[in-house]
Amino acid sequence: MLTIQRVWRLQEKLIKLVGSECMDCGYVCYPPKAACPRCGSREVKKIQLPRVGKVLSYTVLKVPVEGFESKSPLIIALVELGKARIITQLTDVGANEIYVGMPVEATIRKSPQMIEGATHYIIKFKPVIKK
Amino acid sequence: MRKAYIVGVGMTKVGKFYDKSIRELAAEAVFKALDEAGNEKPDAIVVGNMLSSLAEQENLASLIADYTGLRGISGFKVEGACGSGGAAFLAGYSLIASGVFKKVLVVGVEKLSERPTPATSRGLAWAADADYELVHGVSFAGLNALVMRYYMSKHGVSREEMAAWPVLMHENALQNPYAQLKKKISIEDVLKSPVIADPVRLYDASPLSDGAAAVVLASEEVARKLSDTPIHVAGLGNALDSTDLTSRYELDRLLASKLSAEKAFQMAGVSSKDIDVAEIHDAYGVTAAISLEELGFAPRGKGAKLVYEGRFRAGDRPAVNPSGGLKARGHPVGATGIYQIVEVVLQLRGDFPGINVGGEIGLTQNLGGVGANVTTTILRR
Ligand SMILES: [Zn+2]
Repeated sequence: MLTIQRVWRLQEKLIKLVGSECMDCGYVCYPPKAACPRCGSREVKKIQLPRVGKVLSYTVLKVPVEGFESKSPLIIALVELGKARIITQLTDVGANEIYVGMPVEATIRKSPQMIEGATHYIIKFKPVIKK
Repeated sequence: MRKAYIVGVGMTKVGKFYDKSIRELAAEAVFKALDEAGNEKPDAIVVGNMLSSLAEQENLASLIADYTGLRGISGFKVEGACGSGGAAFLAGYSLIASGVFKKVLVVGVEKLSERPTPATSRGLAWAADADYELVHGVSFAGLNALVMRYYMSKHGVSREEMAAWPVLMHENALQNPYAQLKKKISIEDVLKSPVIADPVRLYDASPLSDGAAAVVLASEEVARKLSDTPIHVAGLGNALDSTDLTSRYELDRLLASKLSAEKAFQMAGVSSKDIDVAEIHDAYGVTAAISLEELGFAPRGKGAKLVYEGRFRAGDRPAVNPSGGLKARGHPVGATGIYQIVEVVLQLRGDFPGINVGGEIGLTQNLGGVGANVTTTILRR
């Protein structure tokens, strides 16, 4: 169950895009780990991931999981952010407009999921608009 | 390390059984397995299960032992998502190999029909990273869809080629009396089936299932006494990968599938070329394609293409998923790993009631999450 304290614990990671980088072998990870998956070193530091990346893969969910029925279909993308990746909702884009390699940037939006009657905010990605 | 043998097997039909509870499903499989093994009381029970919490029941080892007349024996439940059955088998095997016990009952049981689909989907998504993936609303089908699109694009695999797997599985399941989906389908049917999580369509995915399967493991001396056709557990390997998909080294590979297979092959002193029959974990068609590659049955990127070209049917070596696999036999998640073992035991004994391919050496591979907790077994006649 998504509780208020869980969202509070996650806020830094969900909104600020904090990953981890190994000080010994340089491996970058998202979600952040307490030790490096590649070399086992505990010398990992928190790093800020870039807020702009590109779509590596995507899907349109026609069958929602409980809690997300209010926003269906949900567009989910696997986004490459520098040396890391994130799985995230895409917003401000139609399902037919998405393509692999599409540049996207982070934005903070309402989650479709309610917590005990309250809305909460979460990072999503939207297409980069060329100016 | 002491040798361990399978001396009894049992399973229920896979399906949606609104009239049967967890304990009733488990008892049916347990009684069949125990009856095959001389109906002697085992020393311990190990239960594989992922989501009994959906039916508001934990403490399954005591529940099932007590319900089946085994009050007083030892036991516990093992959880490794959809790989719970394989992990429970590893635990049961270890109890024999270590000499702690002489007879161990391993039962996998799952009941997914208890709640509405969105609730069950949410439960299944707990197999992935709840803090970082479920929080965005991604279902388990969604995660596999991300892998499928990436795999198809990276290796130039067409939608038709991906559809060959479910077609073969439905064909195999037609003859399996324990299978959930008994319906012949065509590639056209797959391509026209409703989208669940684009590009995953209904027929690309395994169904939600209830079911239970059980095996009795015994030490060498007990096995000789209880069975004329004991099956040797020749190799066993388990490996873990990240729960999240995002930090995987490569998105079109399943590291734990490869590592667990290597461990099992090494222990048994065999290689992928020696396998006559295999039951692999095709939760989705793409899972099957990548697993075939990691197991050494197909070159990298060619798993789905070889299936499309007609490989892995009965008569081929290895014959893969003559049961119909998760796709069509069904996928009662925590029980699936035990179903696979029961099926391969029956194949090696020549007793499988569906497509019987026989053989001397069989393999099973059970995945938990998107290949995050993987158990491979090598079984030998
Ligand atoms: Zn490192």
